Amino acid sequence: MVDVTNHELVPDHTVLDDEELEEVLQEYNIDKPDLPKIQRTDSALPKEAEVGDVIKITRDSRTTETAVVYRLVVK
Amino acid sequence: MSQHAPKEISEITFGLMDPEEYREMSATKVITADTYDDDGFPIDMGLMDPRLGVIDPGLECKTCGQHSGSCNGHFGHIELAAPVIHVGFSKLIRRLLRGTCRECSRLLLQDDEKQEFHERLKRARDLDEGLNDVTKAAVRQARKKDRCPHCGEPQFDVQHEKPTTYYEVQQVLSSEYPDRIASAMEPDEEDGQRISPTELAEETGIDAGRVQEILSGDFRPRQDDREAIESALDVDLTEEDMNKLMPSDIRDWFEAIPDQDLDVLGINPDRSRPEWMILTVLPVPPVTARPSITLDNGQRSEDDLTHKLVDIIRINQRFMENREAGAPQLIIEDLWELLQYHVTTFMDNEISGTPPARHRSGRPLKTLSQRLKGKEGRFRGSLSGKRVNFSARTVISPDPTLSLNEVGVPDRIASEMTQTMNVNERNLEDARRYVSNGPEEHPGANYVRRSDGRRLKVTEKNCEELAEKVESGWEVSRHLTDGDIVIFNRQPSLHRMSIMAHEVVVMPYKTFRLNTTVCPPYNADFDGDEMNMHALQNEEARAEARVLMRVQEQMLSPKEGRNIIGAIQDHITGTYLLTNKNPRFNETQALDLLRTTRIDELPESDGTEDGKAYWTGRTIFSELLPDDLNLEFTSNAGDNVVIEDGQLLEGTVDADAVGAFGGEIVDSIAKLYSKTRGRIFINEVSSLAVRTIMHFGFSISIDDESIPPEAQAQVDEAIEEANERVEELIDIYQQGELEPLPGRSVDETVEMKIMQALGQARDSAGEIAEEHFGDENPAVIMADSGARGSMLNLTQMTGCVGQQSVRGERINRGYEDRTLSHFAEGDLSADARGFVEHSYREGLDPKEFFFHAMGGREGLVDTAVRTSKSGYLQRRLINALTELEAQYDGTVRDTSDTIVQFEFGEDGTSPTKVSSDVTEPAVDVDQIADKVLDSEFDDTTEKQRFLGETREPTNLSEHADDWWLAQTDD
Repeated sequence: MVDVTNHELVPDHTVLDDEELEEVLQEYNIDKPDLPKIQRTDSALPKEAEVGDVIKITRDSRTTETAVVYRLVVK
Repeated sequence: MSQHAPKEISEITFGLMDPEEYREMSATKVITADTYDDDGFPIDMGLMDPRLGVIDPGLECKTCGQHSGSCNGHFGHIELAAPVIHVGFSKLIRRLLRGTCRECSRLLLQDDEKQEFHERLKRARDLDEGLNDVTKAAVRQARKKDRCPHCGEPQFDVQHEKPTTYYEVQQVLSSEYPDRIASAMEPDEEDGQRISPTELAEETGIDAGRVQEILSGDFRPRQDDREAIESALDVDLTEEDMNKLMPSDIRDWFEAIPDQDLDVLGINPDRSRPEWMILTVLPVPPVTARPSITLDNGQRSEDDLTHKLVDIIRINQRFMENREAGAPQLIIEDLWELLQYHVTTFMDNEISGTPPARHRSGRPLKTLSQRLKGKEGRFRGSLSGKRVNFSARTVISPDPTLSLNEVGVPDRIASEMTQTMNVNERNLEDARRYVSNGPEEHPGANYVRRSDGRRLKVTEKNCEELAEKVESGWEVSRHLTDGDIVIFNRQPSLHRMSIMAHEVVVMPYKTFRLNTTVCPPYNADFDGDEMNMHALQNEEARAEARVLMRVQEQMLSPKEGRNIIGAIQDHITGTYLLTNKNPRFNETQALDLLRTTRIDELPESDGTEDGKAYWTGRTIFSELLPDDLNLEFTSNAGDNVVIEDGQLLEGTVDADAVGAFGGEIVDSIAKLYSKTRGRIFINEVSSLAVRTIMHFGFSISIDDESIPPEAQAQVDEAIEEANERVEELIDIYQQGELEPLPGRSVDETVEMKIMQALGQARDSAGEIAEEHFGDENPAVIMADSGARGSMLNLTQMTGCVGQQSVRGERINRGYEDRTLSHFAEGDLSADARGFVEHSYREGLDPKEFFFHAMGGREGLVDTAVRTSKSGYLQRRLINALTELEAQYDGTVRDTSDTIVQFEFGEDGTSPTKVSSDVTEPAVDVDQIADKVLDSEFDDTTEKQRFLGETREPTNLSEHADDWWLAQTDD
């Protein structure tokens, strides 16, 4: 099987640890459900990601070099 | 208006209404179908009972004591003689009838099934999905049951005859049962045995005497007997019987449905009992909802709803009388149906299968549902969109002498639209002058409001008198005057630049006048376009319009990230003529060009010619530029434009420099300096350009597209060559020797090659033609500067129009295997498939003209389809995105505060504030830093010291001070 996470078009998906998550929620003054969502079944997710985790996606951007997006893993 | 304090709505629930509630809120019971008595007074307990509210001014409401205007009206009620079905719920009623037991009214589901649907409902609620799918499935399952799982009663199918009749379909003993039994007992072809009554009695276990009685028709067999006979003789003794369910039956049925069963069907029994769908009381809308109109002849004309209510009460009355008189069942049922019809059409008069109730004139009545539905209904017609006051619409025409911020308003419109003036000591004089001018003369006034709140109309007669009375505290509705701010709009309003604020300039005649440079944002032209104007009515609106909506504030389009306002068409031709060849002007000419700008002094001349000073076009243009502008870019004409310190050193000023849709100079000035500077620049460029084009003169004619005979011969030769090449290709193809291109069939290959050859022919014809046009050819100037048209247009006019196509192929439709009857079948040659070898100037021959029309038609159809498709697409997109908003923390969120973008556009910049050049970074930090430093430090050494670029001389001991002082200047 091809591991799509290694594909050059798939951006970096990393699971945030509790400390980082707290920082993100603090920065935007939000609760977890206010984040954009990503399905657990999304093949770009790292294997260890579980429902309720928050993923940090670092991807190339048309307007700036890299853009960071956080997404909440849902079922 | 209303004396009630505004109340905050905390919750809305939807449900059915208890008939008891109708009675409680009713101001009066209505029993009389008449409205007014002979003296013109409303009849008590009639449809116009004064307790239902007041519509005539001066009268007092008998319920709340308020006068018309402040009393909203009160509901009354009609006690229906018999229950009647509410049409709006006919589907739900059917569903309930099918899903519940006819005997015990319980839901026809086992407890475990109930539990399952209960859970599915709960999940659907949690997921915010529609509950309809679940409740529908529940009823579908319940309907499958033949017997009630609770009381064992057999269930029958319920049929619904639209709109409001329900039948139970029962299998009952046929009336001709003896005949059917007898014929079944006769010997049939296979076994040939006649069955005797004794045998039948033995087989079915029915007494032999009873069998005889059954056969003679004297005794109707009971159900189990009937079934025994049916199985013994293999015969069907039943027929379908349609048992009509009367509304009263249905009401009784629904009353017995237990609350917990309703939960499974998605109905909240606390708020909505199903029996409430069968009306026993009909609410009568207040008179304010159905006002009567007094006609010119003094006769009263009643609202459609009142007419309908009259019908209902009449039938209701008749029904009661007949029932009390003990009328036969048939008559009662007829009246019941009639009452049902009237109540049904009272609520909805557009039900299929029911003839609509009509007015005496034959016009269908507008009843409750018709008031709400559709484009002109309450929602779309009165709440989402309404007609407004202080608005005007007329044809637009151009006026290049106006600023782009202005709009010319016809005096007759200006004297109809008003602005409210609050009179005080400072503007008292002005106010008096306006009032004394009256409503007819232009800067006049139409109304005044005295300090006591009384509004007076200013007329020609009373204006002088009224003007003297005007004092502080009054309000004067004065005419629109120069400098007032108004909102101007052209439909379709596709982007925010379709509605902009303009300053008024009052003018004679009947059209709105606008500067031609604002045509692009409105997408307006002057072939009969009309536009709307709105006069603003309060100070906040005027202030916001000035700051946010004025044309100059909208100069940069957020969609494109560059200017959308700028020079167009002749302006561009003008600046091109001024700068391309850099012509020389003497003093008079130069001053004349700059006449309409703020420049009234010429710079130093560029030199002298024959003893006279001259100025070049670029020098003159440079006068309009900010003194410290530095810019370098490539023009539309292809040369390099260099601007240093506000001087145009070289290059052509054309569409890429000053045009709408991204003219570099306009874009840079608006972003680097200010929108105001940009507006001044555009205004001046357009007037300079107009002056320039008037100086040189610019026209185009047929002769400008003609080429010398030898060039024409060359063009003809090129086309002839192409024709030969095509013939060759066809030859090879017909001999079957053509090599297909990879992935194509032979047919496709020959088509492609022919298209290619003909395309080349048109291009070379164009090139030949182009060679013969000088730079001074007006069509070339327009194409070169980007003012209008392209080189392709020019080659089509002079060289060859080229291949016409339908659906991207050469024309191949019409007759079988040929396009026209003039050609042989299967002719693939250029002229038989829509190649137009003439130019527009030469003229097309009839066949060419026909093919050209085919291609042209496709273009027209395409644009028509595209606009409607893309319009709807855009509408949906806008509706999906309207609630997104960029927040102060840089995120983009929707109204529920969920994040959509973590940084607006991922770089947090506004397209109207950053460079429109996609190749360079949006924000050039180095450049900004340099700018800041330059303005912060006058002295280079200080700046260098700040930047740490020069090292301070070290001083470790006071003995070294001499050396240190020598190192530093002071």
